[in-house]
Amino acid sequence: MPSPIALNLSPTRSMFKRRSSSSLAALASAKSYLAAVSEADARARAHGATPTSTPALSLSSSVTTNSEDSVLAEEDDNRDGLALPIVPPTSEQVFNTSHLEFGHSANQRHRYKSQYVPGAALTHDEVDPPYYVLITTYLSYIFLIVLGHVRDFLGKRLNPGKYRHLMPANGYAPLNSDFDSFYTRRLKTRLDDCFSVPVTGVPGRTIITFDRETNDYNLTMKMTGEKTRGLNISSYNYLGFAQARGGCADAVEECLRRYGISTCGGRLEGGTSDLHVMAEALVARFVGQEDALISSMGFATNSTIIPALVNKGCLVISDELNHASIRFGVRLSSASVRMFKHNDMKDLESVLREAISQGQPKTHRPWKKILLIVEGLYSMEGTLVNLPAILELKRKYKFYLFIDEAHSIGALGPNGRGVVDYFGINPRSVDILMGTFTKSFGAAGGYISGNKALIDRLRVAGHGGTYAESITPAVVSQILSSMASIMGVWTPPPVQKGLPSPAEPVQHPGPAPVSMLPPWMDLPLVQRDGSEGRERLRRLAFNSRYLARGLMKLGFITYGHVDSPIVPLLLFNPGKMAVFHRMMRTRRTPIYVVVVSYPATPLVTSRVRFCVSASHTKEDIDTVLRACDEIGDALDLKHLPGERWPIQRIVDSAVELVNMQD
Amino acid sequence: MESSYPAAARTLEPVFAFMSSSLAQLETTFYKIPGSHVAARYVKSSHQNDPGRTVVEVLIFVFLIFTILQQRTRAGDDERHFIKYSDEEIDESVDDWTPEPLGAPLDDVETADLAAVPVIVGPIGPKPRLLNSSKPVINMVSYNFTGLAGNELIRDRAIETLRKYGLGSCGPPGFYGTIDVHMELERNLADFLGTESVILYSQSFSTIPSVISAFAKRHDIIVADRGVNFAIQKGLQISRSTIRWFDHNDPRSLEDVLIAVEKERKKRRAPLTRRFIVTEGIFEKDGSMADLPRIIELKNKYKFRLILDESISFGTVGRTGRGLTELYNVPASEVDMLVGSVANGLNSAGGFCAGARAVTEHQRINGTSFVFSAAGPALLAVAASEGINILCNTPSLLSTLRGNIAAVRAILDRVDVLDIPSHPASPIIHLHVRTTPTPTTNGLLDPSSAATISTGKSNPLSVHPREPPTFDIAREERLLQELVDECLAQGVWITRAKRLRGQELVEARPSVRLAVSAALSRKDCERAAQVVRAAAGKVLGRRR
Ligand SMILES: Cc1ncc(COP(=O)(O)O)c(C=O)c1O
Repeated sequence: MPSPIALNLSPTRSMFKRRSSSSLAALASAKSYLAAVSEADARARAHGATPTSTPALSLSSSVTTNSEDSVLAEEDDNRDGLALPIVPPTSEQVFNTSHLEFGHSANQRHRYKSQYVPGAALTHDEVDPPYYVLITTYLSYIFLIVLGHVRDFLGKRLNPGKYRHLMPANGYAPLNSDFDSFYTRRLKTRLDDCFSVPVTGVPGRTIITFDRETNDYNLTMKMTGEKTRGLNISSYNYLGFAQARGGCADAVEECLRRYGISTCGGRLEGGTSDLHVMAEALVARFVGQEDALISSMGFATNSTIIPALVNKGCLVISDELNHASIRFGVRLSSASVRMFKHNDMKDLESVLREAISQGQPKTHRPWKKILLIVEGLYSMEGTLVNLPAILELKRKYKFYLFIDEAHSIGALGPNGRGVVDYFGINPRSVDILMGTFTKSFGAAGGYISGNKALIDRLRVAGHGGTYAESITPAVVSQILSSMASIMGVWTPPPVQKGLPSPAEPVQHPGPAPVSMLPPWMDLPLVQRDGSEGRERLRRLAFNSRYLARGLMKLGFITYGHVDSPIVPLLLFNPGKMAVFHRMMRTRRTPIYVVVVSYPATPLVTSRVRFCVSASHTKEDIDTVLRACDEIGDALDLKHLPGERWPIQRIVDSAVELVNMQD
Repeated sequence: MESSYPAAARTLEPVFAFMSSSLAQLETTFYKIPGSHVAARYVKSSHQNDPGRTVVEVLIFVFLIFTILQQRTRAGDDERHFIKYSDEEIDESVDDWTPEPLGAPLDDVETADLAAVPVIVGPIGPKPRLLNSSKPVINMVSYNFTGLAGNELIRDRAIETLRKYGLGSCGPPGFYGTIDVHMELERNLADFLGTESVILYSQSFSTIPSVISAFAKRHDIIVADRGVNFAIQKGLQISRSTIRWFDHNDPRSLEDVLIAVEKERKKRRAPLTRRFIVTEGIFEKDGSMADLPRIIELKNKYKFRLILDESISFGTVGRTGRGLTELYNVPASEVDMLVGSVANGLNSAGGFCAGARAVTEHQRINGTSFVFSAAGPALLAVAASEGINILCNTPSLLSTLRGNIAAVRAILDRVDVLDIPSHPASPIIHLHVRTTPTPTTNGLLDPSSAATISTGKSNPLSVHPREPPTFDIAREERLLQELVDECLAQGVWITRAKRLRGQELVEARPSVRLAVSAALSRKDCERAAQVVRAAAGKVLGRRR
């Protein structure tokens, strides 16, 4: 029974019809682009300076502009304003990336260093929206729930055929009970055009999605065959390593030629290759631990290693918002679990005091060990773990600390080494640092790091080593090359006669010794000297702060820390999620966003989650802010009390906004 | 009834009187509260304007009360065992408490085991190079059954994909991680197997726990083989369903358990819950093969759904490698959830579950490791699709594999110091140390006798069979490692089957696991088997 109030019958038509491209201010063709470049040259000359070339993301000007990697070779038109930079570079600024994958940004003022400022507040107050917003949100849910039940009630009687899969039939219980699937059927289906959008190409600065349409209110969706490119502010591509060209992709190609696709086995059963050994050494060096272990899936890293760390008689204390993979692992471990309020150190301490003094349930025997599991950066909230306070507690309460750095590794800290780096803390003061390669490194899989004895224990006792497939060579080479380019590579100077060869640097955070990379991996100079990696880190930090601050100045309620590349914007009303998503993706420059709601978030706080990337330029963030400004007015989303700036002022004073300290 | 009415009314009279007086009281008190008139007027007028609104408001109210109450009751449960301590006492117990170390250091055996893990230098193939060994070795270890590793076509397609898609997907399938090549692979797998639909996971090991727990919940019933692999065991654990066990690879025992389950339900008059049979196609633990037609017959007869793990059999048996369903010629759609490994069967990475559309779509929302993990790299999906293509178009790959398996078995089946529990068609061949005195005739196992012949029935509530086999794990592992080392010295690379001792529900018997590949020539296979035979005679023979 199709809902009469479903919003999106063929969403690409009707009110969300894509606007015509005629009103485009952006440059429409390569020809006009060329003209703009020469204009920019002229301007630069008029200012009496030779145009500066960016040191890192450009090659020397000896590279001709008609090389394959040059922006002018970009295949298609610029109707959406995404293919060509809004601020045209001078002809001396030659970029070796594709603007669609990794935006061209030469302005060195659009950089920032991600670092904790001692004394800065870590938790900022979560602002409640006006009451009417809360009430209408609750009402929306109640309405949806009541309506859903009414439809179920009537539907089962009037149209039983449609409900057969929810009822017992010929002696089989239904696969899916109507109670368990209620949320999916009656609430999520209404938003389904916002989820699982099929894509193609590189999930870089821009992404191409396939258009879909539905004739039955989202029950089934058909691809129309059309594709739409849009600005991608949703992928976990924090450092912009999702690239089909450049040093890392070259390394992967070389690796495929040398190693093939797979190593055909588990790590302990003959699937270990020399690449794995190198990668583990490099990861340990990167995070600053003694040893590390890599596995072929980030989720499985948690779900198969946590059971090897704790068992019956142990206690896991877990942040209430921890990721599903952590919960999965804890459940498999048969350890007891206690939750504490998200990032609330007072609550954590009281849980600790109670747990230690009460001991195990019923027997009151002391716990064998207590493991605190937190995330570095929370993927739905953008909050940072309060690491200094946790380490303080750790000294007193002697628990072990496990930090899941899935989102923070690479994305935070002056050297990209995660939250520990951000706070300037010695990584060895944390027992276990876990992370994934799917995000900042543009690869796949995960790692666990800690001291050597512990990691060896996990190699033997973790499920993955014995039973899971090992990580494939192509993925390892992406990890090695991207990590090395963040670290920079240290090559021993030529040995002089009579002098001992210089020792490899071991300080943390230091460069990657060339001995930890395969000899055939020939990274370009900008990656070897670490300048490209530094640029990525600085660009990400700038973009993150700019977006977060900009949204706040526009009056949006956001969550999380300003330095977090994850910026959630609160929508509250469930109905606004779908509309926001559709309005964003049907703009002249389409913007692809992620909307999340219950059960991933609490019921009232439905949100849009932006994931900023180093591949975005300042102008891309401008585009997002402008879009939010317009849509925010249309949907009544600006509820933050305090000073508001008009959008033009925000765009003009981006640098000032970013550098503002609170 | 009628006559009792006045009496009842009379007894209730005081109650009504009390109620009306207290209501009046309530009303006056209510109007004494400041602002109450406004509220009353609001409610009245809103009700007049829109009775629906009042209903909604009442619902909100009820909803609030309900949530508050629910929180209360939850807190109450824990307090029964709570002992109240003062702050000083707590500080004291904090000071007194010494935790165990986070991970126990490895013992000597474990250290040696870890040190002995071979490292391949360069690509995998029929004759790879190992670190610390001078010559290439004959590879009887890698899961390269159909020899797709090193295929140039696949490699070129992967490179092409890299240049179009980059490497990582940078997002879970729900959030822009569903790449067209994933959808293509899903379609290719579904067409290959002949099922309606397929869902792709990014790691093979994490697939089946998610599949099981997406469907089987508390109070559901799972009937599982006692010999299932570790991943399935984890799935059973996480599902929290009621588990019943049947004897390893024994359809008769399965039938007994199915009957018992139904009987139990009738006796308890329990409502109908979801019921599943979980087993493997070719068992990872010993290489034995399930009698699929019989299992399907039973599941249809007793109305269970079948979750079949084909992680080993997919891509290795059947005319073109479609697995057990092709081998036995049963439609794959008869298996409700058919789980396979893209990593093992197609030399790429990941796993999949095939079934009806309802089955796969359900997992897209409820399969934990599907929803909460990034989609796999595009180039690995393309490599797998290309692999399917090759399998479809080159049935000779599978016949070569079958020939090689037969050649190896022809030699090893006659070694009298070894037991081989594996099915003659299985591409993985487990070798046990033979302990029982054996008849001098050859130990060739008839395929149908792979089932253990049990006397008496085991208890379906316990994972342990009635007469568990006894073996000395430490001793056998040591002997087998000697066998492995001896073979390696002769240029043949084999491995012990690694086990998580102490974590498996039933300890598997120590074994050496050979993996036969179509990439090896018949001669190399024979040579490898000869070497294993000679080494077994040398290492195991002298101990007897
Ligand atoms: C905190 C956390 N841990 C683990 C994972 C799983 O990582 P992967 O996607 O690599 O499986 C995620 C991914 O979303 C995550 O957010």
